[in-house]
Amino acid sequence: MNPKEARIVIIGGGISGASIAYHLAEAGCTDVTLIEKGYLASGATGRCGAGVRQQWGTRLNCQMAKESVAFFERAEEILGYDGDVEFKQAGYLIVGTNEEEDARFAENVALQQALDIPAEHLTPKQAKRLIPHLNTEGVTSATFCPTDGHLNPFLMTDAFYHAASERGVRFKTYTKVTDVRVKDGRVAGVETTAGDYPADVIINAAGGHAQLVGQMAGVEIPVQSQNREILVTEPIEKIQDPMVISFSRNIYCQQTPHGSFVMGRGDNRPSGYTTESSWQFLEAMAQTAVTLLPPLKDLRVVRQWGGLYNLSPDRQPIIGGTEVEGFYIACGYSGHGFMLAPVTGRLMKEIVLGEKPSLPLEELSLERFDGEDTEAYEQSVV
Amino acid sequence: MRIREHPILRFKERSKIAFTFDGRTLYGEAGDTIAGALHANGVKELSRSLHLHRPRGFYCAIGNCASCHMTVDGEANVRTCITPLKAGMVVKTQQGKGRVDGY
Repeated sequence: MNPKEARIVIIGGGISGASIAYHLAEAGCTDVTLIEKGYLASGATGRCGAGVRQQWGTRLNCQMAKESVAFFERAEEILGYDGDVEFKQAGYLIVGTNEEEDARFAENVALQQALDIPAEHLTPKQAKRLIPHLNTEGVTSATFCPTDGHLNPFLMTDAFYHAASERGVRFKTYTKVTDVRVKDGRVAGVETTAGDYPADVIINAAGGHAQLVGQMAGVEIPVQSQNREILVTEPIEKIQDPMVISFSRNIYCQQTPHGSFVMGRGDNRPSGYTTESSWQFLEAMAQTAVTLLPPLKDLRVVRQWGGLYNLSPDRQPIIGGTEVEGFYIACGYSGHGFMLAPVTGRLMKEIVLGEKPSLPLEELSLERFDGEDTEAYEQSVV
Repeated sequence: MRIREHPILRFKERSKIAFTFDGRTLYGEAGDTIAGALHANGVKELSRSLHLHRPRGFYCAIGNCASCHMTVDGEANVRTCITPLKAGMVVKTQQGKGRVDGY
């Protein structure tokens, strides 16, 4: 069977599912249906910090992020989108507070520079020049990449949605997948709250719920979901261009084009599916933010919310096939699925259509977790 | 405008409080909110809308909306409708979304 004529069902209408839908349709797939239990971007995509950085600690993450940035830079043009996805490349400043981190920064920057990512290792003084209101007390060094940035997750999903729709993809929102039918070791279709969809190919892009969808097909995916909280403040005039993050201080914080500050932390939580808000987060977040960026003390918090990180054992995504023929997964992004979505879509298209992979897919495969511990553990995660 | 005479309620005389509004010295009365004192002085435009820069006045009067945000003693986005007036306050019409701490 010509894979372009396969009946393809994508589960999950976040940025990953929308990007996969677009890439498949753009490549000529004629029968693609995306099923989403809420509205598009209602899960982790619409709840994320919306940052895009290329400063990673593993070669593969760096490459995927770099290629995604190249896509975002021309997203409107590539997708023929009338709107503006608000991609602002004002850089990411990563702040370190101990020698161990400084050493890791030096290694990371060397790796990034070798891949033509324009990152630099900075002294605290140089960092303060970039962000005058940064409190450098306790800061030992920093790294900065000027082409990192942030964009609007709702608009970016919308851009993929429009481009995919124009190419014939059907989007079924408010439709929940209740089961995945498998027959003789290969997928047969999905059952949903709005009827059955026969399928030759099923792509699990269910984000925080990917493990549950995997179980429906009898595929055990070694991921866990954790609630990660985030808040937004009232808007003020622009004072901060780069996104500021710190792994040791546990913070990411950006000022959006609207003027509000969006910030979050990565506190380890029990795995589960709650996205509740807590006062403990609010207190810890406020303390961390005000210590590192003192003028933020005058800002009022407008609201806070939670979203699911889907964590893989090595904090790198899982993209590829499974032991069930026709059942593919794109999950385990560990908090950076939004920024990698353009590459996710392209890689999944290559896998489904049996094309030559443009990146080393074995490093992203589910099989990498069989047996030994993996080498390339991504440390640079908030 | 202030209601001095009322058929049922009686208003006691209250002490005057001086403050400045965009550099002008104005007087409110003890117990006023900032926005209340401004209104009594005939100041009805408290801010400007962010996109079309149209005048915004007293609106919700309970601290929920953003219509009365002003910069008071250097602090941006003070909800003047629920903030008590104090002697010597420096109240300014805010330019845009307001600023923090000299940045």
